[in-house]
Amino acid sequence: MARAHETTSGTLLPTNSPAAVWAAIGAVLFAAQAGAFFGFVVGVLGDLLTVTPLPGAAFVTAVEAAVEQIPTLLSRDVIPNDGYWNGSRWVGTFLGLRPSLAWGIRAALVYLYAFAFAGWGILGYRLYRREYRTADWTPRDDMVDRFRGHKWGIFGLVVVFMFVVMAVFAPVLGPTTVDENMRNSYSNEITYWDSDAEAVQTTLVGEANLASQSRGDNPERVLPMEYDDFGRFHPFGTLPSGQDLFTFIVSGSRLSLVIGLLSVGLSAGIAASLALVAAYYKGRTDLGLVLASDSVMAMPQLLLLIMLTTVLSGTWLAEIYSGGFVLALIFAGTGWTYMWRSLRGPALQVAERQWIDAAQSFGQRPLTIMRKHMLPYITGYLLIYGSMTLGGAIISIAGLSYLGLGIAPPTPEWGRAINLGQDYVATGSWHISLIPGLLITLVVTGFNALGDGVRDAIDPQSDATTEDGAAGRGGGA
Amino acid sequence: MSVGPDEEPLLAVRDLEVVFHTEREEIHAVDGVSFDIHEGETVGLVGESGSGKSVTARSILGLVDSPGSIEGGEIGFRGDDLTDDNWERHRGDIAIVFQDPSNSLNPVYTVGNQIKEALRIHQGLRGNEATDAAVGLLEDVGIPDPRRRVEEYPHQLSGGMQQRAVIAMALACDPDLLVCDEPTTALDVTIQAQILDLLADLQREEDLAILFITHDMGVIEDATDRVNVIYAGEIVERAPTGTLFSEPAHPYTEALLRSIPGRTNAAERLPTIEGEVPTPTGRAEDCRFAPRCPYAFAECHEMPPEHVDVGAERSAACLLHEDGSEEAAERTVFDGSEAVSGGDSA
Amino acid sequence: MNKLKYLGKRLLMSVPVVWLGASMTWFIIFMGPVDPASRLLSEGQTRNPAAYEAAQIQLGLNQPPLQHYLDWMSNLAVFDLGQTWLLYQGSNVNALILDFLPRTLWLGFWSVLIAVFVGVPLGFYAGMRSNTASDYVASMGGIVWRAMPNFWLAIMLLTVLGSAYTLAAGDFFALNFDWQTIGPNLDSISGSPDLSRLDTVDGFLAATKKVLPAAVVLGSASMGNEMRIGRTAVLEVRNEDYIDLAKAKGVSKRALVWKHILRNALVPLVPIITSEAFLLIGGSVLVETVFGINGIGNLFYQAAIQGDLPLVGTLMYVFILMIVGINLIQDLLYTLIDPRVGLEGS
Repeated sequence: MARAHETTSGTLLPTNSPAAVWAAIGAVLFAAQAGAFFGFVVGVLGDLLTVTPLPGAAFVTAVEAAVEQIPTLLSRDVIPNDGYWNGSRWVGTFLGLRPSLAWGIRAALVYLYAFAFAGWGILGYRLYRREYRTADWTPRDDMVDRFRGHKWGIFGLVVVFMFVVMAVFAPVLGPTTVDENMRNSYSNEITYWDSDAEAVQTTLVGEANLASQSRGDNPERVLPMEYDDFGRFHPFGTLPSGQDLFTFIVSGSRLSLVIGLLSVGLSAGIAASLALVAAYYKGRTDLGLVLASDSVMAMPQLLLLIMLTTVLSGTWLAEIYSGGFVLALIFAGTGWTYMWRSLRGPALQVAERQWIDAAQSFGQRPLTIMRKHMLPYITGYLLIYGSMTLGGAIISIAGLSYLGLGIAPPTPEWGRAINLGQDYVATGSWHISLIPGLLITLVVTGFNALGDGVRDAIDPQSDATTEDGAAGRGGGA
Repeated sequence: MSVGPDEEPLLAVRDLEVVFHTEREEIHAVDGVSFDIHEGETVGLVGESGSGKSVTARSILGLVDSPGSIEGGEIGFRGDDLTDDNWERHRGDIAIVFQDPSNSLNPVYTVGNQIKEALRIHQGLRGNEATDAAVGLLEDVGIPDPRRRVEEYPHQLSGGMQQRAVIAMALACDPDLLVCDEPTTALDVTIQAQILDLLADLQREEDLAILFITHDMGVIEDATDRVNVIYAGEIVERAPTGTLFSEPAHPYTEALLRSIPGRTNAAERLPTIEGEVPTPTGRAEDCRFAPRCPYAFAECHEMPPEHVDVGAERSAACLLHEDGSEEAAERTVFDGSEAVSGGDSA
Repeated sequence: MNKLKYLGKRLLMSVPVVWLGASMTWFIIFMGPVDPASRLLSEGQTRNPAAYEAAQIQLGLNQPPLQHYLDWMSNLAVFDLGQTWLLYQGSNVNALILDFLPRTLWLGFWSVLIAVFVGVPLGFYAGMRSNTASDYVASMGGIVWRAMPNFWLAIMLLTVLGSAYTLAAGDFFALNFDWQTIGPNLDSISGSPDLSRLDTVDGFLAATKKVLPAAVVLGSASMGNEMRIGRTAVLEVRNEDYIDLAKAKGVSKRALVWKHILRNALVPLVPIITSEAFLLIGGSVLVETVFGINGIGNLFYQAAIQGDLPLVGTLMYVFILMIVGINLIQDLLYTLIDPRVGLEGS
């Protein structure tokens, strides 16, 4: 079947290749938001490297500044929401709309864009599967189809996707930025309409924050979806310090996601390698690893996290990413045991297969055997346990920052928001603790659902009688 | 309908229909099955995997659970229609033995405990009396050292002994009919012969009627008096065992017989039936075997065949036997010897 | 005999685990980047070389590391735990632990109880009625419950319980709900339970009520998990052949559920229940902090943030012992529940 040149779907453009069209659409989509994507990557790298004495740090900051110059379609410049009322109309906001609408439009467009991009990806996959792949059907197709019909898994995927979008596009989604509202609030000014003086005034952001604090039932408090006295819109209300909660949350989401991915990635790497090694060599290696993992697991993970963060605080390692990097390392160091335990079963099963014996018999190197013949069979389980562990990691990180450990204040993190608002839950400022908690619950449910969906797609017969429950609990938070 | 000896059948299955409702489709696993079993006789039900034999067995015992349900027909046991929710009344009158003995016994209780449970329900025995009876049953089924075995857990017994214990448990209910769903398939061939012998002995001693379900034609030949051949949820042929083997009336039976190793010339390839058993997703609108049948003609694809008497106490559902069909004029009964002459036909 | 051997083997395996865990702890605390001695002293004192040296000597840090390690480990083994530095300065650590630990144990006890006795039956209930509306509601509830951060749940619960409510239906009746006064009176809804009067009914009830909200929070995550796994276990067991056979024998519905299904469904639950116990130990820190219970988790946290590192190390040792102990209890339970254990010995 000469599939490469004959395709069954036509195209509008004068090219015979749907692939080219698809690629072109992708290029356009990407270019529109290239600035944001690069900003995300560079921003994360920059945060990671700021405090290290590595020579790359300065270079990264320069790149960061350059990246900010890249024109992006959906940015605060194109759709601004921080304008002011000049007595008769709104100045400086998108199309002269109220800031709430302008922000709403920008946020909605960002998500629309993200879903369009995802749709483009799915289309590309279907195109590939229908037209360009030589095989008519692979086992993976069944898995994908099963996942497509799994409502709970799709729900999880959507939630996780929206969370990732929130993290990647955080600077654009908030009504203001971390820099302006929190870090350098006394170096930035805003313009606003002073209704008493019936005139346009300016003031420092920091001062404005002081007058917008939500501390219980005080009259200046700003509830979700309200404006403060300075014409600023707060989708989630303000913190007791007067800072915008929504910006706090989306910025914190980036932190949670990156640290979560880092820890789970490292954990998975360690767990998978060790599982393969133990399954391949069996015997004493396996026993030794069981012993080691039992010992690590004998120390409650949360307590171990507390102990290690305390011990490592004040070191240069703890400065990286506001303590996020060391947190990820500790997570990986303590969390690999649960994943390893869960992967051990499938790995041992694969090791029993006859093709492993066959490969050994013609002298294949152990590392190659592990990589080529064993790894593909546990990747499915990696995905399942990985996504569930991510959920647990997010809870643990939040728990630690609630206690004041882990992520150093004043860096935004969801757990810290809960801490800041805990005294006001029964009062008029109930939103401060409630919203982050609900979000955590939603995101973690999403990750668990995703893991469930992937597991049902990969192996409809299996079920959760293993210890993946433990893996998804983040060590006790 | 073929009629056995002149007496009321112990079990009379009439037009049984069992449908499984899954998310994607409806599966008519049993689609109009009818057969009789008389007291003290062994009736076989033979067919490939997926033909509906296990579902039939389970329906007789009232063990069909969602997504499946009995949606038509009746199962007459001593005059009562079991499908009218009458299974509870006849618990113990009919017993069943499953294919996998390692899964048939509750792993957390001793063998004795499970046998005594049945003894308590059906014979009112308790305590030492019950233990003695249980030991007696284990002895009857040929388990050595029954006093020790009665206190052991299922996992401590070998596969063959587990199956014997299951049979003992069934006997404890003092049944009139024993349904055996592939009882020897999961066992070694030597054990298989022993279990078959055991069943034959028990039948003689207890005047037990047995429904023997299997895909193994060799076992059918040895163990049964009469046979029903089932295909894709329908019975396609009924006959006394000997006659079925010497003069099959249905093309499917013929093909099944041909595929038994040992019946064809050693020098030739073992014939197989091309294609697969279809999964019936609706009521029969044609002959379900037609796509694989070497004798199929036009009408076979248009109408479902009814059972036609083809001799003493036997019938087959095949248009070839319908009076008046041209092909029927040419051949009415397949000669068993033709089946042996090998390979390709028609 | 086999079971005893299995248990003995597990006991033996625990020793190197405890040893390794304690060694890792020692390494982290005393060989880490932070100097335990300087951490203990306040800013002013660190500059004072005499005070610093005194601290070093007291901690034993002036010895070569190996010597210190051996001393420390041997002290732990005989529970000679020394005195505290910063927290409750100068108190005997043993006494401190004996004071704080019971509160955590009380909390943990109730958490496990609630998790097991609410989660497992809910799971069984959902499993027996699978795919019905009640199943979906229960399962969904379990899933969301499991995803909630327990410290957040604690805050919410405290808020809810802290206010008084009135349920009124016009003039007919009014139900006052004030957590503080329902049942035994509490002087405050948070804080440590008073365990000194557990032998009196009133004291027992008061202590239980005090710790109940915290126990619900701490047990909530495990509850969700146990529910889910209980449900799965029931579903799997329900489909087994031996359940069908028991039904065919005529076992009553009640006996079927309680004797056969649930007993087997318990088997996969045992490791889950005990693995949740580990999480309880870890999670107790957060819950104790929110509820103001002065338990050993809270003690650990206070020691950590105030810099009393030797205490942190000692407490970690205690935790390791607790977890290994729970592991052994789990193994014991396993041998009691599943007769197959001891032969394969996982």
